[in-house]
Amino acid sequence: MSRRRRTGRAGWNTLAVGIFVVMVFPVFWMISTAFKSNDEIVSYTPTWFSLHPTIAHFRAAIHAPFFWPDVRNSLIIVGATVGISIALSFLAAVALAKYRFGGRKLFIVLVIGIQMLPQAGLIIPLYVVLARYHQVNALTGVIVTYMTFALPFCVWTLRGFIINIPRELEEAAMVDGNTRLGAFLKILLPLAAPGLVATSVFAFITSWNEYIFARVLLSDQGKQTLTVWLSYFLGSSRHTDWGALMAGSTLTAIPVLIFFLLIQRRIAFGLTAGAVKG
Amino acid sequence: MAETEGAAVAAGAWPRRRRRLTAGRFFRASVPYALILPVLVAIGAVLGYPLYNLVRLSLQHYGLFELIQHKGQAVGLRNFSSILHDGIFWHTLARTVVFTAVNVCLTMAIGTAVALLLVRVSTWARLLLTSGLVLVWATPAVVAVQVWIWMTNFQNGIVNYTLTRLHIGNYSEHDWYATTFSQLGLATTLIVWGAVPFVAISVYAALAQVPRDLEEAAEIDGARPWRVFRDVTLPILRPVLLILTSLSIIWDFGVFTQPYLLIGQGHIHPGNYLMGIYLFEEGYIKTEFGRGAAISLLMLAMVALLSVVYVRKMVRLGDEE
Amino acid sequence: MRHRVVAAAAVAVLLGLVAATASASPQRAQANKLTVWLQVDAQSGWPDIVAAANQQFQKDHPGYTVDVQYQNWTDHLQKFDATLAGGNSPDVIEMGNTEMTKYMAAGAFSPLDKSSFDNAPQWLSGLAKSGAYGGKTYGVPYYAGSRVATYRTDLFKKAGIKKLPATLAELTADAKKLAAKNKGKGFSPVYFGGEDWYVAMAFVYDFGGTIARTHSGKWVGALDSPQAVKGLTAYKNFFLASSRASKTNDSTNPNPYDVYAQGNAGVIIGPSWFSCCVGVKYKTATAQFVLPGHVKGQALPGFLGGSDLAVPVTSKSASLGADWIKDFTGTSAERALQAKGNIPNATNLLGSSINERAAARSWFVPTAKHWVDVENGNILKNMLGQILTGKLTVKQAAASASDNITSVLNGS
Repeated sequence: MSRRRRTGRAGWNTLAVGIFVVMVFPVFWMISTAFKSNDEIVSYTPTWFSLHPTIAHFRAAIHAPFFWPDVRNSLIIVGATVGISIALSFLAAVALAKYRFGGRKLFIVLVIGIQMLPQAGLIIPLYVVLARYHQVNALTGVIVTYMTFALPFCVWTLRGFIINIPRELEEAAMVDGNTRLGAFLKILLPLAAPGLVATSVFAFITSWNEYIFARVLLSDQGKQTLTVWLSYFLGSSRHTDWGALMAGSTLTAIPVLIFFLLIQRRIAFGLTAGAVKG
Repeated sequence: MAETEGAAVAAGAWPRRRRRLTAGRFFRASVPYALILPVLVAIGAVLGYPLYNLVRLSLQHYGLFELIQHKGQAVGLRNFSSILHDGIFWHTLARTVVFTAVNVCLTMAIGTAVALLLVRVSTWARLLLTSGLVLVWATPAVVAVQVWIWMTNFQNGIVNYTLTRLHIGNYSEHDWYATTFSQLGLATTLIVWGAVPFVAISVYAALAQVPRDLEEAAEIDGARPWRVFRDVTLPILRPVLLILTSLSIIWDFGVFTQPYLLIGQGHIHPGNYLMGIYLFEEGYIKTEFGRGAAISLLMLAMVALLSVVYVRKMVRLGDEE
Repeated sequence: MRHRVVAAAAVAVLLGLVAATASASPQRAQANKLTVWLQVDAQSGWPDIVAAANQQFQKDHPGYTVDVQYQNWTDHLQKFDATLAGGNSPDVIEMGNTEMTKYMAAGAFSPLDKSSFDNAPQWLSGLAKSGAYGGKTYGVPYYAGSRVATYRTDLFKKAGIKKLPATLAELTADAKKLAAKNKGKGFSPVYFGGEDWYVAMAFVYDFGGTIARTHSGKWVGALDSPQAVKGLTAYKNFFLASSRASKTNDSTNPNPYDVYAQGNAGVIIGPSWFSCCVGVKYKTATAQFVLPGHVKGQALPGFLGGSDLAVPVTSKSASLGADWIKDFTGTSAERALQAKGNIPNATNLLGSSINERAAARSWFVPTAKHWVDVENGNILKNMLGQILTGKLTVKQAAASASDNITSVLNGS
């Protein structure tokens, strides 16, 4: 690597670290607070790191009522939502991106239009419909709701990624004797992988962190999601247990991080790492 | 096929408008419909009736009493006219448009810049920054709000403490929630902070599809970085950028959770309403569900108007293919 | 990659099935279940009293289970509205007493037979009023709390304050003495937020004013009356002389007892249970007194905030709901609540704890259908912020707030 390239690279790296520090600071603060004792938390002179770290808050959070059941509920709901949404929306995105068909514009308008709806406005109408089919206070009701809001977004985003894929590749695959659809699946899927991953991470995170609908639809504490579980640390008129709240928040964020770390390899890390030669 | 048809028509045969429907052609033509069917069914089944209900509600007077009776009073367009004649609605709309513009610009600019940075750094730095971004993204909005409130605490918040220690001014006991500008400014930092990771990672994923040799070729030809970006990278990124911008506009216009929780029910008043909060306050807190439905539909119209330029571009992009 | 997608989709469908079976509810056979909504305060404060009520109920109604679901104050009304629309409301619900009137007027609750509840004739009048509408009883008062002053005995001694203040003027003078002896940064002689309207309105009522009154069937805001203006002026002077808290915030963030635990407050104003959380350092140097009014011998009127229990009209087991309420507000349960530092619901049960002495002179919000909208619209809080920051004079702020209140309370 040339000297100029190397110092250029070092400069970028420093900038990256700087941005990392600024962006992550609130999260760091949350985690750091989770390890502080109550006295340190409310002190007028905040400390960056706890001098006497304690895991008491984490213990309190894990032992708070319904923690593990709610973890399980969140995993089930989000797993099903993401899996089904990505599968269905990939198909629809392929149709939108690569086919011409009557009613295409109408479908696009529908997909975009639904995202423009203020979700808060739909709370009661949706609740009434779900109640009629006994889907209130049920995980499936929440899955179905989340899916409905995730699908338009996933379709739209995936379409953008798929459009980019050059036509020549499809045509090459078709020459090989595949049907159009077969060509798509064989060629498109691997190429759209980064897009699929980014979209699924987003769907995962949005569903994992959703609060309003989960709150309204699930009243049994044993059926609620982690986000709702977290809100119980705040709702009392007596005492906000900051330490336990921060500990609980940290615990809530962990599964998302794990999910991302598991699939991050697909976001072309390998590709660019090799391409940008030193 | 076309020639035989043409010949037949030329020969004065009965003009065939439809091409012969073979089984193969039928299947091929129905493929796209089959592909979009699951999504249509899913959305239609769940949202169909609620949407119909929403429109019906907007034409009714439907308060708490009517909710319990399950029956509203039809009042025609009275909800709409009362909202459109309400000064608060227009002030809120103006405020929200400005708020949206600021948030979207900041999010897109910072997110794209971070994505460009990600391409240029060493692997370890990339992993570090990406993990940081995902960590930020993974933080639930309700939690992020609490952390923000905690950090900007009047008396023992870290922000006041640090600003004072750095001698940027006397910020000890500065109340960040005293003015509307400050409240919405804080909301902006929170929203942009939470939105940048998604933009950065999506643009980065799109950049992964940009052939690096194209850029390098341009650079070798002596083109300056900005020209390279504008002429080589940007065109390929356009679809993704358009999508992200339009989505950002839609979300930031209707954003509710972050500003509502951050400013807090205790400080919300018509002077600092945003559209999402206005809807919630008028519709749910005041239990005027008919009015809330009307506001929802008006918001839908506004957002559609604001994003029509981008949406049109995106739809056309597909046609160009 | 294709296999992975198919595998992922299969997993998703599997998860969906798991979800369906997980929630394939014994909900269908709801016949023998009573659903009760209580606030989280009960979950963290007196779960044993709840358990005792459940046990009693199950003894009287064998074969029934009680499902208590705890709610947050911030959104329990929105959830309740959704259940009213969907037809699956709980059988008993805890409501804040300022929230009751609106729902009673809308017909959300089933009428209850007042005489069937323990100590009903002796219910505290302020509390009982919140559960009555149109001559019928819809809510049973369950508990209440008032506001007292929690103070540092050691700081008082150091500042030479020999006896507890008996008038507001004495309290203000004591605050000045505390300030003189504690010049540390961030120390507030009396700590309470400027927009703490519960404290501010107490001043208004102490001077004989009121928030709103009825006049030929309509509500009229009354904060611009001379007495109310006097009360607000007294509040402004008291705040500026004694509190270093934010002028534009109420007393929720930071919590006054956290400030106290850091050694930065001489006196804090709040519910009597504040003494639980004053921190290890000052636990032994803490005591409480009743806030004095401006006239010697009279306490500052305390806001009788509390909760009522009601039976939603959409419940399918209304009489059972009433029975559960009976068990939960019976004399023994009320005594137990009292032991936890709350004010019980009847005068014959009142003791002489600090809490109850403070409640001897009390005030309550106007029992108007739209009162909740006044609270949610932050009309009082904004008024206080404007007064304390000097943006408006007391008269101007009070006049504008009064007009606001008049239009909101008379809204359709």
